[in-house]
Formats: sequence, structure tokens, C-alpha cells
Amino acid sequence: MKKYIAKRLLQLVVVVLGLSFLTFALMYIAPGDPAEKKLSAQGIAVDPEVLAATRAEMGLDRPFLEQYADWLGGLFSGDLGESYRSGRAVADMLGESFVYTLELTVLSLAAALAISLPLALLAAVRQNGIADFLVRIFSFIGNSLPNFLISVLLMYYFCVKLRLLPVISDGSAKGFILPCLALAIPLASRFVRQFRAEILEQLGKEYVDAALSRGVKMRYILFCNVLHNALIPMITLTALSVGTLMGGSVVIETVFRLPGLGKLAMDAISARDYPVIQGFVLLSSGIYVLLNLAADLLYRAVDPRVEEGGDAG
Amino acid sequence: MKKRLVAIILALVLLFALCACSGGENKNDEKILRLGESFAYASLDPHKDYNSWGTSAYGLTEALFKMNDRSVMEPLLAEKAEVSEDGLTWTVTLKDGVCFSNGNAVTAEMVIRNIERLAEVNERFAYLADFEYKATSDAVFTITTPEVYPTMLNELATPELAILDLDASKDIDNAPVATGPFVVKSFVPESTVEVSRNENYWDGDVKLDGAVFYYMPDDESKLMAMQNGEIDGYAGVSAASAEIFSADPDRYVLTDVAATRLQFYILNENRMSDEVRKAINLTVDCDAIAEYLSGTVSPAVGPFGENTAYGKVTKPAADTAAAKKTLEDAGYTLNSDGIYEKGGKPLSLKICYYPSRSLDSIAVIMQQQLKAVGIASTVESYEDPDGTYIATGDFDIALYCMIADKNGDPFYFIDCTLRSGAPYNCGGFESAECDALIAQLRYETDADKRSELANKIVQIAIDDNAFGYVGLFNKISVTAPGVTGIAENCPFDFYRIDADTDIVR
Repeated sequence: MKKYIAKRLLQLVVVVLGLSFLTFALMYIAPGDPAEKKLSAQGIAVDPEVLAATRAEMGLDRPFLEQYADWLGGLFSGDLGESYRSGRAVADMLGESFVYTLELTVLSLAAALAISLPLALLAAVRQNGIADFLVRIFSFIGNSLPNFLISVLLMYYFCVKLRLLPVISDGSAKGFILPCLALAIPLASRFVRQFRAEILEQLGKEYVDAALSRGVKMRYILFCNVLHNALIPMITLTALSVGTLMGGSVVIETVFRLPGLGKLAMDAISARDYPVIQGFVLLSSGIYVLLNLAADLLYRAVDPRVEEGGDAG
Repeated sequence: MKKRLVAIILALVLLFALCACSGGENKNDEKILRLGESFAYASLDPHKDYNSWGTSAYGLTEALFKMNDRSVMEPLLAEKAEVSEDGLTWTVTLKDGVCFSNGNAVTAEMVIRNIERLAEVNERFAYLADFEYKATSDAVFTITTPEVYPTMLNELATPELAILDLDASKDIDNAPVATGPFVVKSFVPESTVEVSRNENYWDGDVKLDGAVFYYMPDDESKLMAMQNGEIDGYAGVSAASAEIFSADPDRYVLTDVAATRLQFYILNENRMSDEVRKAINLTVDCDAIAEYLSGTVSPAVGPFGENTAYGKVTKPAADTAAAKKTLEDAGYTLNSDGIYEKGGKPLSLKICYYPSRSLDSIAVIMQQQLKAVGIASTVESYEDPDGTYIATGDFDIALYCMIADKNGDPFYFIDCTLRSGAPYNCGGFESAECDALIAQLRYETDADKRSELANKIVQIAIDDNAFGYVGLFNKISVTAPGVTGIAENCPFDFYRIDADTDIVR
């Protein structure tokens, strides 16, 4: 087991370094100059001499490999550099944004699971009934609506019409209700369909009929056998969703004024803020790989028959 | 089962009710103005980057002079500035009693240190290091320039030249000690800024107790925060929101003013004849474009606002019949596709733009308008105009947007777009007369003569059909009734609240 974890962590280092090089290269060849973006941020034309001096000061006139080696050197000494845009330490900026994104992820995932699991169970047990039909409609609508529209609709009804919640979040728990719901609704809609299918598959297996014929109550079979056996695909789906959520949601963060990782990354990309983009890629790819590793380990905990790497033996 | 369902519903209702009860009305009768802001800044150091556009708007910092609503210089911290006969030495006198929020007097020495710091930390102002500064008394200092520098007052009015107490400002990024009517109460980088009244304000009473500036980049959020009364106003209202606000004049006060951000296009003289360029300018209907953009822009005649002294130019109205006649007189004939051609070659143009500031919409409208008179075109989008079509000149029509009037003087825009070899004169426009007038404008110190020169220069470019000035973005502000003085009539983005800003709820 330890060997397996060590191997996966080594893979993580290779993946993250590879991604950092690829990102740096893509940014280098992409149109747009960080110095020009910084100097003309408010739409004032830039004097070419000032631009050249700024580029030199920011080290942008050096060859690509030299710039990358410089960044890598900083990384190995624990320094992610400073933002071109704000001059602040990238590590501090990522740390501050990470907290918001983590809170948002945990809460919206909890809400999504709280909505989707009971609905999926209900739909599967009442397959082709009215409840199933309604749940599928919810799932279909939730999947179809873009995040932006869900956010605006929620804001309109809860803030403007009902006046139950504020548009401007002050950082308190109530400020997280709408963004969490806006993220949870499409997530739950996706989960419901997948969970329902998984539960239906388990319900069609012989062990369910055998248990029923032995007089075991359906509720017991559902919660103790069916759900347990459907857990592995659910863990995969949830882990992948956490990875996506941890990358931040630009739309939700922009609409609800939450300075999370998505907004940070989008602002950095617009300003060609290379150090921040690099830091973001490093963090998000690391999280993604670690979450996959955690999911693999969880498979083994849930089902000891699963071999290292997640394949059932 | 039913009982459980009822319990869940009741719990949810209770939760929302609790949330609603803890809502944030002012707990006492303090006059706190709450504004939505489209931009946020990472630091409150006014000398770095464009942070001063924030600190000036928040009422924290002031410069020696300021621009009024008609772009005319007015004294602020300075009483006056006089130039020597040779035009090389400016003598600036500070107002009596000007002091920082900590009560320390603003001295000439401190002003000089601020100018020197700005030159050191902001690349755009590095040229200020070329001047010599000397304090002749506590309230008077001189600036000596190597050559005549007529826009000195404009430089001294730029918000970046905010005057700080550099000795007392231990944490300039978060709490600069300055002269404005407000002081920092709390600051979250790139988020909310809270200010409170400067009790030591040098210019009399400050009407507000404080203000809060919420960073709200999303338009819908600002609209809804305004609708449920969480903010008292904001600038930069979109066309869709303006329509909603204007339908309810009892609850919302809408104001719009033509601002300083210009949409324009460059016509490539190296690729197109005089007649084709003339036909294009006769075809492009700026009024129709402004109408399409639903009031977010005002049709432009020249690059500057028509209410400025240097914005008095004329251009022919759109006239498609005249455009067609111009092409036909030049030997073009309509082919079977309805496109003009000459020598068997159809007239087809390349329009370059970047997808920002509504330039994408303008490119498509221009394409349609040109097609309607028989000029074919392709539109090409670029992410980085400065690194592509502006640098290479590979275009027939190049769309661009920039601030034309950055500090109440026309020289900056004219010098970077109309002078031969200027970075944005990339369409081959050359005029010896224009260059001579620009050289004259560089050193002209009389304001009226400067305006006259600017108008002549821009008129030459218009008459030569070297450019097309499409629209000036409107600064549209909305406020709740009772809010006054948020610079809603000022074309500059960096002014917002001051000592006279007030709210009567």
C-alpha cells in the first residue's frame, strides 16, 4: 500500500511539473503581453519606450527557458513569485482564494448529495412512476440551465422578490446559501441521473430478489446492500466533481462576489499574470491528482476486493 | 412521513427567516453611502499602477489640481501654478491650511517627495524624474523642465499624483495617510473598501459619515443590489439595466454623460485610395451604431467630448448616396453580386477588431453598412491588437478603443495617433502640416491656442479620411433619490465622492 501511494505521489510530481511547463509554454506563445496589459489596464495608450522598460523590469525580454527556469528555481525554494498585476505574493493570493473555494466546494457538495441521494432512491424505487417522472424532469432542467441563469434566478427570487437573503455577501454563512445552491442544483441534477441508474442496476441483481424472498425488508436492502454496492461509481463521480469544483467557478464567484480560485484564475488569464496562472495550475492539478488518489484508496476501504489502481479483482 | 416533511419545510422557513432578520440596515442614523464598483484594486498605494483611480474615487487622496466636468483645470491642494517667461520653470503655491488626515501640514517638501516617489515606482511617470524640483518655502516649490512643458497643470492634476504623508504612512498599501475628505476604515484587496469621514479635513465639513464601496463586477448583481436597496448607486450602468431603472423614475435617478473612452477606426492609406476611404466614412453611420448599442455610447464627431474647447470639429453626415457616387466617380462599377469593382477586382476590405468594448458589434454593423452600399468586407478578430494588426499594419480598417482625454488636454491622444510614426498612426497617415501643428501644440502654453491647434489637427485627419471616430462611451450612473454629488456628470472615471457628497434617506 505504501509503495502504491509513493508511486502515485511521484506521478503527481511528474504530472504537475509537466503541466507547469506546458502552461508556461502556452502562455508564452499566446498573444498578449503582461507588461502592456498592466500599463494599459484602464485603456490608456502605452508609450513604446515605457513598455520596453517595463518588459525589461518584469524580465519578459529574457528567453523562454530562462524565464521558466527562474520560475522553477523559485518554486523549489518555496517561492511562487509575485503577481504582475498586484505585486502581491502568489502564495498568499492562492491561499486566500483557496479558503473561499474550499468552503464553497464542501457546502455545495454536501447540498448536492443531500438533494440527489434521496431523489435518486425515490426515483429508482418508484421507477416509471410519477415521482420518477418528476425527478427526471428536475434532473433534465437542472442539467440544462447554465450556472449563470440559475444564479440570477436564485438571486432574483430570494433577494429581490422575497428579500430573504442579501445580494451582497458579507462573508457570513447566509452569504454562502445562494452560491452553494447555484452550484449544487446542476451538480445534484447530474448526480440524480447517475445515482438512479446505479441503484436501478443494483436493484435488478439476484441478491435483491434473494433477500426479498428471505423476508428481508426492502428498506434494509436499499440502505444496507444496494446503496453500499452502488457506492464505488458514486465515489468516482463525487471525486471528479470535487476536482472540478476545487478549480473554482468563475461565474458563481463573479455573480456572488466570492474571491475564489476561479475568479482569481480568470483575472490572471485576462491580465496575462503568468506567476498567478502558474500557481493556479500547480494547485489545481495537485488537488485533482490527490483527489483521484483519495478516491482509489476509498474504493479499497469500501470494497476490499478492489485492487490497487481501482480495478475490481 | 408527512410529519417529517412538514418539519423539514418549517426548518427551512425558519432558517430563511433568521437570515432575513439579521439583514444589514444601518444600526444608527449614520450617513453611510453604499456604492457598487466595477473595478477593485489590490492596493491603496496611489502611486503604483492605477490604484489612484480607486483612492481618488473613494475620496481618500487628492492631487494638486483637478479636472472639472468640462475638463478644465481647477486648483485643489494647490492655490495656483505660474510659469516663467521662458516657459521652463513652474512655481506652485499650496493653499493655506492644507493638511493630512493626521493633522500634519502639507509642505512643499513633502509634495516634492511624492512626485519623486511616483516617478520611481510607476513606469508611466518615470519622465517626472527628468525635472528638477526645489522647495522655496513651506508652501511654494518650483519645477524646472529641460524644455517647455505646457501640460504641467494636467500632470499635476492626474490622480496618480496624490499627495501622501510619506512619513506617517507606515502601510501605504492598506492605509495611506492622505488629504482626502475620507480615511480608510477597512480595506480588503480587490474587494470591499470602507471609508469614514476625515475629521481633520482641510476644506471644511464633510457631509457623509462614511461610505462603502462593494466590488461587484457582475452587472446583474449590481442591478439587483440596487433594486433591493443594498446599494445607493453605481456608475457604469448597462443598457439593459438602464431600461429597467428608467421605467421607475420615482425610485431611481439615471444620469449619463459622454465620457472619455473613444471607439474609433484607422483607415489604411497604404491600401485604400482617398475615394474609397471617403466612401467608407460616408457609409459608416455612427448614429445607427450608437442606437444599436442602446445608449451606452454617444455618436462621436471627433475624439474628444463636444463640450470641451478642443472638441470642436465637424465631419460629414453619413450619406450612402454620396458614398456610392464617390466610388462611381473613381471608376468603380457594381458587379452582378452588387459589389463595386474596378478593373475586374471587387472592392473587398479586411476589418480587424478585438472582442472588447463593443468593438465586435461595431465590426459587424460596419460590415453590414458597407455591404449595403456595395463594399464587401471580412471581419477578423484578434486577441492582442497591439501585437498584431496595430503592429503590422495588416488591415484595411482597424478598430480600436482607448481613453482619448486622460487629463483634460488633447496632446496625448493627438501625439499617439496623428503624428507621423506615432504608435497608433499605423494606417500611413502623413501630413506635414499636421506634424508642424503637433510640434507647435507640444510647446504651446496658452490654453485657448492649444484648443485651436488641436481642433485644426483633428480636422485635418478627418478631412483626409484617415480615421473614423465612432463613439464616446457614456458614463451612466444610477442613484437612489436623495443621493447627490457622486460625480455623475464628470466624464472622468477616477472621481466619485468628495466632501459635498450627501445622502438624504
